[in-house]
Parts: sequence; C-alpha cells; structure tokens
Amino acid sequence: MVIGATTRQENQAVYVLHSYPFKETSLIVELFTRDFGRIAVVAKGARRPRSALRGMLQSFQSLLATWSGKQELKTLHGLEWHAGLLVLPGESLMCGFYLNELLMRLLPRDDPHEALFDEYALTLKMLATQAQDSAVILRKFELCLLQQLGYAVPLIQNIHDEVVDASKQYYYLPEVGPVSSVHVGQENGVQLSGETLLAMAQDDYSAALTQQQSKQLMRLLINYYLGDQVLHTRQLLMDLQTL
Amino acid sequence: MNSPASLEQLIAALRCLPGVGPKSAVRMAYYLLQRDRKGASALAQALDIALQVVSHCELCNTFSETPVCPMCASGKREDSMLCVVEMPTDMMLMEQTQAYNGMYYVLMGRLSPLDGIGPKEIHLDKLIKRAQDGKVQEVILATNYTVEGEATAHYISELLGKHGIRISRIARGMPMGGEIEHVDAGTLAQAMLERRGVS
Ligand SMILES: [Zn+2]
Repeated sequence: MVIGATTRQENQAVYVLHSYPFKETSLIVELFTRDFGRIAVVAKGARRPRSALRGMLQSFQSLLATWSGKQELKTLHGLEWHAGLLVLPGESLMCGFYLNELLMRLLPRDDPHEALFDEYALTLKMLATQAQDSAVILRKFELCLLQQLGYAVPLIQNIHDEVVDASKQYYYLPEVGPVSSVHVGQENGVQLSGETLLAMAQDDYSAALTQQQSKQLMRLLINYYLGDQVLHTRQLLMDLQTL
Repeated sequence: MNSPASLEQLIAALRCLPGVGPKSAVRMAYYLLQRDRKGASALAQALDIALQVVSHCELCNTFSETPVCPMCASGKREDSMLCVVEMPTDMMLMEQTQAYNGMYYVLMGRLSPLDGIGPKEIHLDKLIKRAQDGKVQEVILATNYTVEGEATAHYISELLGKHGIRISRIARGMPMGGEIEHVDAGTLAQAMLERRGVS
C-alpha cells in the first residue's frame, strides 16, 4: 500500500451480523460487507441515548457504511439506510440469527465473498416474504455457504470419481462425499439415498425425504467444520421447544 | 514487581464489572485504596448489605427487599393486565408516563441468541407461570423494538397464546411531535407499514 493512501471506505453495502458493548458508550459491530468480507468496526458513542447510529445498527437491514482503518478493528464513521426496510416476521427472526451465527463462526475476517453476500441478501428477502418453507431456505444457504468458503461438498460423485446412482444408498463422509460402504471408524457419516444427493445438486428440495435427509447431511457437515464451536441458536430453539 | 495478593484479588474482582478491562481495574483499585478509603469502605458495606437483602419480587421479578415488591403488594394496580419489559429501568419509564396502571413482569434481559442468552437465562418459564394466575387477561409486550426484543416478544406470544391469554404489543411509529423531515428512514418506513385507519 502507498504511504498516505486513504484507508477510508465510503458507502459500502453491509449487513450487521452482531454487536457487543465496548468501553463505556461504544459498540464493536461485526459487519458482513459485500466487498471486504466480515469486518469488525468500533461504533463510537453508539450506546449514548441520542446516538444517530444507535437505531440503525440492527441486523437484517441492508445498510451503507463508511469506515476507516487498516487494523483488524476499524472505525465506523457513518451508516445509511440502503434498500428499504426488511421486516422479518417473528418466526423468521430465529432463522436470521442462525444465518448470522453461521457467518460469525465460519467466515474468517477480512476475506471478501461477494457471491455469498448476494446469497445472504437473497436469503433474508426469502425469509421476509416466506417465499418458501424456511427449512428449505436455510438448507440452500448452508450449502452455498460451505461451497463459497471453499469446502468441497460433492453431491453427484465422490472424490474417487464414483458417480452417484439415484437408486442406491450411500454414506456421506465429510471431505470425501458419498460412498457406498464404510470402513470401521467411519460410521459417523450420514446415511442417505442417491436420489436425495441428486435432488440437492439440482436445488430441488420438494420431496419430503430430500428435506429430511438434507437436514441431517447439512448438520453433519456444519458440525464438522465448526469443530468444537457450539451453535447457540440451535440450542435456543431446542430449549424453547421444552417450554 | 509483585503486588500484594489481596491487591491482585481486588483488581481481579473489579473486572467483573461490564466494560472494565485490566487497566481500568488497576486504576480503580489504586484509587479506592489510595485516595478514597472511606468511599471504598462504604462501597464494600453497601455491596455486602445489598447482596444479603436484595432479591427478586415473586410476582414481577424486579429487584426487591421483600418477597413481593411494594408496587405488586399495593393492591392498587389492575391485576388483569401484565406488561412485560426487559429491564427495571423500562418499568420506571413506563411508570413515569402514568399511562398504565396494570402489573408488570421484568425479564431482566432479552433473548439474545448470538450471546447464548436463551429462554433459560431469562427464566421464561417463570413468566408463563405468572401469566396463568387466573387474574391476568391481557399480556402487553413492551420489549424493545430491536431484533432481540422482537424475537423475545414473538416467542412469549407463541408460548402464552397456547394458554388462551390475549396478547398485545406496544405500538411504534412517529415520535410525539415528530416532523417527517426529521424522522429517520427506518422509523418512517415502519410508521407507513403499520399505518392505521382513521375513518
Ligand atoms: Zn413486584
């Protein structure tokens, strides 16, 4: 970088993923930006009662942000409303939190993912309009997320170039793909039909079996890439069920 | 340089305060021990007493020195209405409006999924029991209009709706004396979406 070059970024398309208190009156905000990936900014004074930033730092709203700084923690200078107000109905809010938690845990900072950003924006719109069953909307986003992050999720053939047959049963192993039989020690995979894999490859989640098996598959893969990180949103939904 | 163990303990203890990092904790500890030992002693005593006598009201869950707080015990409140707020400060502000004369329930927080704050942490089970005392007919959800406050309101309405209790949500829109020119775009958009008929 040229010395003295500006590190200020103006009016960038962003979404707020999460924020938490910082010092007396400020917030640290995790932003998902279209062109710079996930970044952390300090919103100075954002917890003061009359802060102009305060009401705008809401998740799921398309915003334009201006920030500066080249360290890991940047400084937020301004926010503006972008593409109109998006209203997530109550039952979709938890899906939105789930998307944000996935991005917080799996997307490294300062790594641009334009296509994933666009998919995230589209996913939020689908959740707002409830264009599809929310479970299907989430499956599609989960698959897109893993693929965009560069994890191989082979669906039509495994890493040994064996082509999936719709009429056969498979075990799915992370990093390997569908295999017709498992060795001892690999039983932690998910069992599913070739038909499910081919339907997922074609983005077709209409069959009940596809919905059920794709849920198990995505859960396996996401847990695999999360390692020992816990997904709070998943736990919270389970706890609500018991009330 | 090694500080005395008890000084180290004090510094570590001060860090339990929100927004207090290691540096501020050291500054606070030095100040208390060097500049204001009387203040420090008063603080220690006040903390000790508060910890012993302050608990949560059995009915509204706010801080109270008695099992049931004076407001809940007064007998002067409309017990068919229960207003749910996030924090005691929200209840105080609501009281200042003198627009409401029902009972309260203070959650002492909100669902905040990404911070791991779920229904257990804010004791939603306690609220559900409270709302079913046989007297409450309407539950008014006055949680914040943030995404967390909205999610909290949504799940409470789901859980209580099952028990046939009428649920309402405080309205939002243009502020009092609000001029359109000076209202932020989000508020204005909400006011348009949630417009109501006048004739
Ligand atoms: Zn009380």
